[in-house]
Amino acid sequence: MDAIAVMLITQGIHGLAYGMLLFLVASGFTLIFGMMGILNIAHASFFMLAAYFAFQIMQWSGSFWLALLLAPIAIAGLGILMERLMLRQIRKFKLGKAVVLFELMLTVGIMVCIEEAVKNLWGTDPEIVNAPELLRGLVQFFGMTYPVYRIFIIGLSCSILLLLGLILFKTRLGNVVRAAVQDADMAGALGVNVPLVFTLVFGLGTWLAGIAGVAAAPMLTVFPGLANQMMLDSFIVVALGGFGSLFGAFVISMLLGELTAFGIQFFPGYSTIILFGFMALVLTIRPSGLFGEKE
Amino acid sequence: MKNSFRKWLLWAAILAGLYTAPVLFGVFELNLLLGASIFALFSLSLNLLLSFTGLLSFGHAMFFASGAYGTALVLTRLDGCSLLSAIFVGAASAVLVALVLSPLLVRVGGHTFAMLTMAFSQIMYATVMKFSHLTGGNDGMSGFPIPPLVIPAVGLIDMSLERNFYYFSISILGLSAWVMWFFTRTPFGSIMVSIRDNPDRVTYLGFNVPLSKAIILGVSAGFAGVAGSVYALFQNMVSVDGVLGPLSSFTPLINCFIGGLGTFIGPVFGTGIGTILLELMSAHPEQAQLVFSLVLISVVLFLPGGAIMLYWKITSRWIVLRNKFQTAILKGNHES
Repeated sequence: MDAIAVMLITQGIHGLAYGMLLFLVASGFTLIFGMMGILNIAHASFFMLAAYFAFQIMQWSGSFWLALLLAPIAIAGLGILMERLMLRQIRKFKLGKAVVLFELMLTVGIMVCIEEAVKNLWGTDPEIVNAPELLRGLVQFFGMTYPVYRIFIIGLSCSILLLLGLILFKTRLGNVVRAAVQDADMAGALGVNVPLVFTLVFGLGTWLAGIAGVAAAPMLTVFPGLANQMMLDSFIVVALGGFGSLFGAFVISMLLGELTAFGIQFFPGYSTIILFGFMALVLTIRPSGLFGEKE
Repeated sequence: MKNSFRKWLLWAAILAGLYTAPVLFGVFELNLLLGASIFALFSLSLNLLLSFTGLLSFGHAMFFASGAYGTALVLTRLDGCSLLSAIFVGAASAVLVALVLSPLLVRVGGHTFAMLTMAFSQIMYATVMKFSHLTGGNDGMSGFPIPPLVIPAVGLIDMSLERNFYYFSISILGLSAWVMWFFTRTPFGSIMVSIRDNPDRVTYLGFNVPLSKAIILGVSAGFAGVAGSVYALFQNMVSVDGVLGPLSSFTPLINCFIGGLGTFIGPVFGTGIGTILLELMSAHPEQAQLVFSLVLISVVLFLPGGAIMLYWKITSRWIVLRNKFQTAILKGNHES
């Protein structure tokens, strides 16, 4: 195979790995928004925090697998606490339309808080998380060499995606969750414990962000600014894919991953402008997104 | 009557305080005060959208940045540009940005408005980085000349003197704040509030809601531009991370919330509290932002009206206590 084709395919798999991580973050983001109408600005901060948790757990125990198991659970716990203790508190004020502003501001406060807490606890220097022994090194296929770890990320994300799909579309719990995403009031009227489902989905969403954070830690360096890029990208995914649409989030995540990977090569500097311009256009012409259902 | 007299007295005291500040304080406190005033105006302009029209903007920094870059560019590129016209160019470029974007922005509200403004400020960030031959890219622009203020029949006022610059900028900022306050008191200001509360009703009454929103956006952007323009003159430097960084749109929002939503003057208190907080924490700059964010979270959770509501609560409590006290004394007198 010639060099250009190898480069293109390598770059393509790079994009796929980033797109998968992005989807893990954005799926939680879009589920939470679709169900509770809360645009959780702090969602990507949970992703960043998970990477730091993974770093810390590996400092203590040295096991990546332990980090992959424990860090997302800890993050989900924090997410559930945030939902139970804070977001629910705001609804008690009976602020009417202004409740949206207060919820957004609360998540902004939590975002700043997480970022500053991370800076205080671990410092601003980038930390390096090593991939486990098993996943280091390169793999040979079709005459190309490729880092194993990225293949692992793709595999992991795919299996979580499958699991999520099975739970959401094949179980009763999934039916309840999807019903609550569609119309929380109606689901409540039919006897679903909507507050409990809210907490569950918030926990699930942050857990997904946590998995993505741990998985991203060895691939990207761990630093406080990690949340910024992820936040903006997941914003684009959710806005373009449609609020609350998992399928839309998946398609746009993959496209965005590839665009980021190839954009660096072919049109450096312009990809942000194009992306956000496209996002602005979609938001104004079709506020429900490309794949979302019209309201 | 008594109330309005007290109000005027309060305003006179604030004005006198601001104008005697250079006599009382050193350069450091003066710069702190001026910096806070700039951000107070910036927050006030955001509050026009937030409290009065009910639109949450996550990208208000783009108007601040347009003002700052507009002024910096015209002072760098154009020799002999006067001070007031430089500020005017700053404000005008912010209004221009707002008017160009308004056809898209006026159609939406709520979350979509927040995300759209955020997208536009990101586009602006990328554009500023891309046109680095004009804007200096990552390094920003600095060292542009600050012309003296020319007043006919009085002469030149040198702006390199700290005290002169302070008087000049505080006048510009105060005047802008006053014009904005006046704007909220006009009939149009009432339309603004009605758009927040019930846009459909405003349409039925025969007002053009999108056009009104565009005007509000233009006014808000213009004053953010004035703030940015004075900021550029004050710092004599504009950097992309300073005016368009990740937190620059959130800081005025946080000020509005801490000060108190739904009032005109709230953001000024919020900025004051923020500045004092950061100054108190100046020994531990790493923790300052953390404390700031915790203050924001607790305000949102426990005191949705912000500092103003706290003040009202305290004063009303005090009035209640005083009444109790007086009735107790009267009763006591009566009984004895």
